[in-house]
Amino acid sequence: MATSLPSSEPLHTVQLDGLVVLKIIKHCRESYPVDVTGQLLGLDVDGVLEVTNCFPFPSSDDDEASAQYQLDMMRCLREVNVDNNTVGWYRSAHLGNFMDLNLIDTQYNYQNSLSAQSVVIIHDVSKSAAQGNLSLRAFRLTEAFMKAYEKKTFTTESMIKNKLTLSNIFDELPIQVHNSHLVTALLHDLDSPVADANRLPSLTTFTSTQKTATLAEDNAPLAPNLEVLDLELDPFMQKNLENLLDCADAQQQEHNNYQYWQRSVAREQTKIQAWLTKRKQENAQRAQNGQSLLPEDEVNSLFKLPTEPSRLESMLLNAQIHNFTKQLNQFAGPSLGRLYSVQELQK
Amino acid sequence: MPLSTKSSTLHLTSTSGVPAFRPFTCVINPVVLFSILDHYLRRNEGQERVIGTLLGVRSDDGTEVEIRNCFNVPHQENDSEVAVDMEHHRAMFELHQRVNPKEVIVGWYATGSQLNSYSALIQDFYSSEVAPFQAVHLTMDTDLAVKGTQTMGLQTHISAPVGVSAKSGNCMFLPVPCEVRYFDAERSGLEILATAKDSDERTASLLSDMDHLEIAIAKVQEMLERVSQYVQQVLNGKEPANNAIGRYIMDSVSVVPKVDATSFEKMFNSHLQDLLMVVYLANMTRTQLSVAERLNTLV
Repeated sequence: MATSLPSSEPLHTVQLDGLVVLKIIKHCRESYPVDVTGQLLGLDVDGVLEVTNCFPFPSSDDDEASAQYQLDMMRCLREVNVDNNTVGWYRSAHLGNFMDLNLIDTQYNYQNSLSAQSVVIIHDVSKSAAQGNLSLRAFRLTEAFMKAYEKKTFTTESMIKNKLTLSNIFDELPIQVHNSHLVTALLHDLDSPVADANRLPSLTTFTSTQKTATLAEDNAPLAPNLEVLDLELDPFMQKNLENLLDCADAQQQEHNNYQYWQRSVAREQTKIQAWLTKRKQENAQRAQNGQSLLPEDEVNSLFKLPTEPSRLESMLLNAQIHNFTKQLNQFAGPSLGRLYSVQELQK
Repeated sequence: MPLSTKSSTLHLTSTSGVPAFRPFTCVINPVVLFSILDHYLRRNEGQERVIGTLLGVRSDDGTEVEIRNCFNVPHQENDSEVAVDMEHHRAMFELHQRVNPKEVIVGWYATGSQLNSYSALIQDFYSSEVAPFQAVHLTMDTDLAVKGTQTMGLQTHISAPVGVSAKSGNCMFLPVPCEVRYFDAERSGLEILATAKDSDERTASLLSDMDHLEIAIAKVQEMLERVSQYVQQVLNGKEPANNAIGRYIMDSVSVVPKVDATSFEKMFNSHLQDLLMVVYLANMTRTQLSVAERLNTLV
């Protein structure tokens, strides 16, 4: 792989600055439901990739314009002493539907051209909103996959040779969040809630729940986030299952393609066999008559086996389905917890 | 912003579009605060304060300004003069416009809590950019010199002309109320950051869903404990009873819906069944996938 720094260790964690987390959330939230991307800047130190800043990309640009945008932005940021080193990119996703060719392509380019230590950070907007828990994941492509992608062949034998399964396309790295001292001081400042007892509104009507929500937010910005205790599970599961079905449909099409290829190969093989036997018979006859033998290896120029379709798409779809099912599983755990705690409350 | 020379009392000129008696508030996004602190950390040697531009949106009648984003502008300040890099400002603004065309310049920020004549000059420059509205000036006290203030001495001002002459350097900064407003998605991010503030290395790792649920339930339990303790104290006579709080507690408790046992059982069971069925299907799909993987590699 090109241009990897000689003294860098393999990455094992990604450390994000608090600022980066907030910026990514803000950008992804503002452009819902369009998927957006942006660039990560930072440095890698001792196997930990520190991301200190980021900036968003304009979404509707072609390659040249966005390259220019990148250069301009980096130049301006350099003047204000921001780390000028690109370490990866981020992307927004919705309910886990991020595994596609685009992702792999871009990440491959990053890992190949910039440094072997680039990561892609996926922020799942819908999942964060539904569960109240921030969903940020960091991925990089594995070595095996990079090698296979270079050759651009994804036949079955090459996949067996490189031992590529759907689970080792990506490496997932744990993410940590890091704050500077000033920011820590700010957070401590924000944490002191002030609620005046004489101004509490009454909760007698259900329509007034709106007011209390804002009251809580006004007074205690860091009050505990209790959205996670919401009991609604239908929207999330419904969307997830819909996505899963779409994926399964696409996978079915891929399978059909592959089977079609297999059948056509089988047909070609039988034709070749038939031709070979005929040739042999002819040769036997000619040997009897004393004539020269016809070559038998014309077979290779007469019949061409159709090329095997790339299994990459199929593998990606598998990985995507795997992701969806994993999400469903993960969602089920807390849901069961919530259900049982409500049951306890009722007793 | 033309200055009125008719009288020497201070008042906001009416052509600016914000009459003096209408309330004017600022709403700040937390990203801005973190950005400002980051810029301050990265300042050059010998610079005591940094300035930058604020971007945001304005409400339709001009009374509320929401500050959404900001960027740093290099500037030099010494005893005799101040220089602001305007090229950089324009270039950055253009780049930001391409990503987010809705955000416009609404003002500028500076760290350090003093407002001196240079501030007035810079305010003038920004007012010309923001015309016909007032430029909002935001200060954050990064020296932590002022004790007892909330959110690190965050203050917003707009300027008003003062004095008889029309010199640009004469203006007074009037404070306007400001608040920090959060969106749902940002709250979860902010929470993770907040857990980092308690650890020694100022780091925190991201939580899985189960951990998050556990923490939330623990917090609710703790809150219930505190409330019941308070009620106990009041009953024992150790604390004076506050009627407002008492009524509030009673209302909160009554919000819990009381459903009769059989219908609750039914609802609970059907919910549980849905969940388990989906989990079963998901697991079946996964086993199918792994079997397919093995078969593929065998072929």
